[in-house]
Amino acid sequence: MTDLADSDYVIEAKAITKSFAGVPALRGVDFRVRRGEVHALLGQNGAGKSTLVKILNGVHRAGSYGGTIMLSGQPVSFASPAEARASGVGYVPQEIEVLEQLSVAENVFAGHIGLGEGVIINRRRIEERTRAILDDLGLDLDPKAIVASLTSAQRHLVMIARALALKPRVLMLDEPTASLSGTEVDALFGVLRRLRAQGVTMIYITHRLPEVLAVCDSATVLRDGQVAAELTRAEFDEERFIFSMSGQRLQKLFPAHDAPLAARPVLVVENLSVAGRAGAIYGARDVSFSVAAGEIVGLAGLLGSGRSEILHGIYGREPAEGRILVDGEPIAIRSPRDARDAGIALLTEDRKRDGLLFNLPVSANITIGNLGPFASRGMVRGERERSAVRDAMRQLNVKAPSPQASVAHLSGGNQQKLLFARVLMRAPKVLLLDEPTKGVDAATRHEIYRLVVELADKGVALVIVASELDEVIGLCDRCLTIADGRVVDEFRRGEGGEDRVLRAVAAAQAESVRAAS
Amino acid sequence: MSSAAPATTEEAPALPWRSRVIGFIAIGEIGVIAALLLLVAFFYFMQPAFLSERNLRAILNVVSFVGIIAIGQTMLLVAGEFDLSVGSVAGLSAVVAAKLMTAAAWPVAFAIVGGVGVGALVGLVNGLIVVKLRIPAFIQTLGMLFIGQGLIQLVTDGYPVYPLPPEIGVIGTTNLAFGLGWSFAFFIVAAVLADFVLRRTVLGRNMYATGGNQEVARLVGINTSLYKIGAFVTVGALAAIAGMFVMADLGSGGTSIGSGWELTVIAGVVVGGVSLFGGAGTIAGGVVGILMLKVVQSGLVVIGVNSNWQQIAVGVIMVLAVGLDILRRRYFTVGAGARGGKKKPKSS
Ligand SMILES: Nc1ncnc2c1ncn2[C@@H]1O[C@H](COP(=O)(O)OP(=O)(O)OP(=O)(O)O)[C@@H](O)[C@H]1O
Ligand SMILES: [Mg+2]
Repeated sequence: MTDLADSDYVIEAKAITKSFAGVPALRGVDFRVRRGEVHALLGQNGAGKSTLVKILNGVHRAGSYGGTIMLSGQPVSFASPAEARASGVGYVPQEIEVLEQLSVAENVFAGHIGLGEGVIINRRRIEERTRAILDDLGLDLDPKAIVASLTSAQRHLVMIARALALKPRVLMLDEPTASLSGTEVDALFGVLRRLRAQGVTMIYITHRLPEVLAVCDSATVLRDGQVAAELTRAEFDEERFIFSMSGQRLQKLFPAHDAPLAARPVLVVENLSVAGRAGAIYGARDVSFSVAAGEIVGLAGLLGSGRSEILHGIYGREPAEGRILVDGEPIAIRSPRDARDAGIALLTEDRKRDGLLFNLPVSANITIGNLGPFASRGMVRGERERSAVRDAMRQLNVKAPSPQASVAHLSGGNQQKLLFARVLMRAPKVLLLDEPTKGVDAATRHEIYRLVVELADKGVALVIVASELDEVIGLCDRCLTIADGRVVDEFRRGEGGEDRVLRAVAAAQAESVRAAS
Repeated sequence: MSSAAPATTEEAPALPWRSRVIGFIAIGEIGVIAALLLLVAFFYFMQPAFLSERNLRAILNVVSFVGIIAIGQTMLLVAGEFDLSVGSVAGLSAVVAAKLMTAAAWPVAFAIVGGVGVGALVGLVNGLIVVKLRIPAFIQTLGMLFIGQGLIQLVTDGYPVYPLPPEIGVIGTTNLAFGLGWSFAFFIVAAVLADFVLRRTVLGRNMYATGGNQEVARLVGINTSLYKIGAFVTVGALAAIAGMFVMADLGSGGTSIGSGWELTVIAGVVVGGVSLFGGAGTIAGGVVGILMLKVVQSGLVVIGVNSNWQQIAVGVIMVLAVGLDILRRRYFTVGAGARGGKKKPKSS
């Protein structure tokens, strides 16, 4: 290992260029990170953040990009992520990549064999070490649990644990908090601060600017594949970040919306119970609520509290008991198809697993399931489909090289907007949104908020699950706090804030502990 | 403009010519078609008799039988499943139809419908068991392969069914053009139709979605079970039809009709760029792939290569074709990035 004292900068990348099929993603980026700091990498969707960290840790191998990289003053050229790992570079990718059929512990240590574990896997030992890492993360997960049974947020935490297992010198986190909620984020920050104290250098990608203020020491802002600003902590300021990311000043974050007065309920849910996925702790139990036309209802709660399950139950994705009425009509929902026919649409949380079709191009991804209007006698009408896709892409500002491009190459935020375009194509009466702004940049987030309010103004009933509490509080007319799969509190806009949600959750937890003992 | 086929970047007039060339090469079928032409040229150069009328006719005739099944197999693969029992089903349907028109003395037309019905029924059983009981297609259809072979022996006691009514002989010997008969005509019509369905119709698009990610397809309201079962039934029926054409060609209900076809069919369509993982490939590709395999087999015979080498050649070509296809995809659609070799995310 090289002497760390050689250089002030642990990472020095110079004049990095990278193109995909002739389209530049990075155009001469100089990027430096000092030892022992948490360095934020900011930028709008598609700015090139993920591409840059993928270059720094060998996912895009040496030779496929231009420029030089120095690690602790030594030039390096990684041919694979394994080589980077061996040099002490850890990486948590933006998209979840887990081995579903293996246990948490096996996932955490997958690929680390030969790095001090020997050839034979000592199950007990990796389970113990996993336990220790999970405890560090403040995570109550069984190392023996099969990953297939975990929610996507829990999977993300498993990936973070996986990167930490190596005790890296440099750790790169690509939107680690996109699917986490308050307490998990706090626990993660605790870990990051502890690692910083141990001298670990970190690169931290996020779209949540308050997190940058909370935990980062310096920042680089990318815009269209170039460095737009390098900021030190003293220069941190949300306005400034946004300005360098987008070149524009941002208006008020949450657009104004007034809950409709005494509007008819569009969606009524009565005594809904949903089984959790196999092995998961919570489903939903006996949940009742209603949503009026033009109303935005938020479901707040911790990770795994059953919020997504409620949406899945309504949408017929998971078997559920209880009654669901749309426009006053009771409807039997046995499959997503029934729900769609009743005018309900769902935007899923995990784009990669439950959202995108990687074998189809952008256009077909938008129109899939909505082909009716573009077909006559079963045949897809090419021109009609193309023009609808163009309209949808323009309306939601989806940036893709062409409607024929592969979805795998869109940036995360653009993938999300594409899925939005898909669910909106049917003009649903009830729209269920599971983490609608996950991995979406500040400007796009604002667009999505505007879109949500616009839809509400048109009379759509919206139910939103969001892990960022300020999103629920700021955007929603009414907030239901969920804990252990039940509604534990309910309040309207102006009747409470984040603290009210947290208090209700804490009270519910205290009660369940009391009930158990 | 195969908007359903993955990774096509055609019809983008704004792009510079370079991207257009790349887009063209990225079209699935171009690679196999080029390889096919090269092979034909090679064999012709080695032995001009390769392109003789007789030899061409022989190749096309054989291709028409296996090709009919390849059409169904491609659809099924696109929907994310596959069927190893097609050879057995072809044989079983042929001998059942032969028995119906001889021992049971059914009118020929009814007996043929009966044969197709047997194939469709086996497909239905395969589909129901795979989709509803979640037995992997590999196991279910491998089991069905053996069951079918057993049933063939039971139905025939191990003897070919002979003689068949004269109408069958007429079907088998009619010369429509260039010495090619009804089987070839059916093959072409079915291939064009199926290609159109996959490329252009809602049904086709939904098949790609089902094979790409079943859970996503379900969430957008596609009845994935129905699509998969339907594809199994289609393969079964097409296998039956192919089996009966061979029967007509031979003039008897032989007990070895269809044996070994399952692997030829799968090897062929895979050579043609149809993905074993589902959601990718076209009928045109699958059919050209089968043609290519048969060209190689025949070409090696014509230039006088020891027949054992034919088998070896088929194996090598299949692996080579899939390898090249993976490389091509990685290069042209991912821009030499590292994501190409990624494992498929598990669906459901
Ligand atoms: N493998 C790839 N093939 C082709 N294009 C790609 C590939 N990976 C990224 N791109 C393109 O490069 C650009 C930068 O993408 P990148 O993923 O780095 O953005 P990002 O800043 O991480 O955005 P986000 O915040 O949405 O994650 C985008 O235009 C994207 O479409
Ligand atoms: Mg990214």
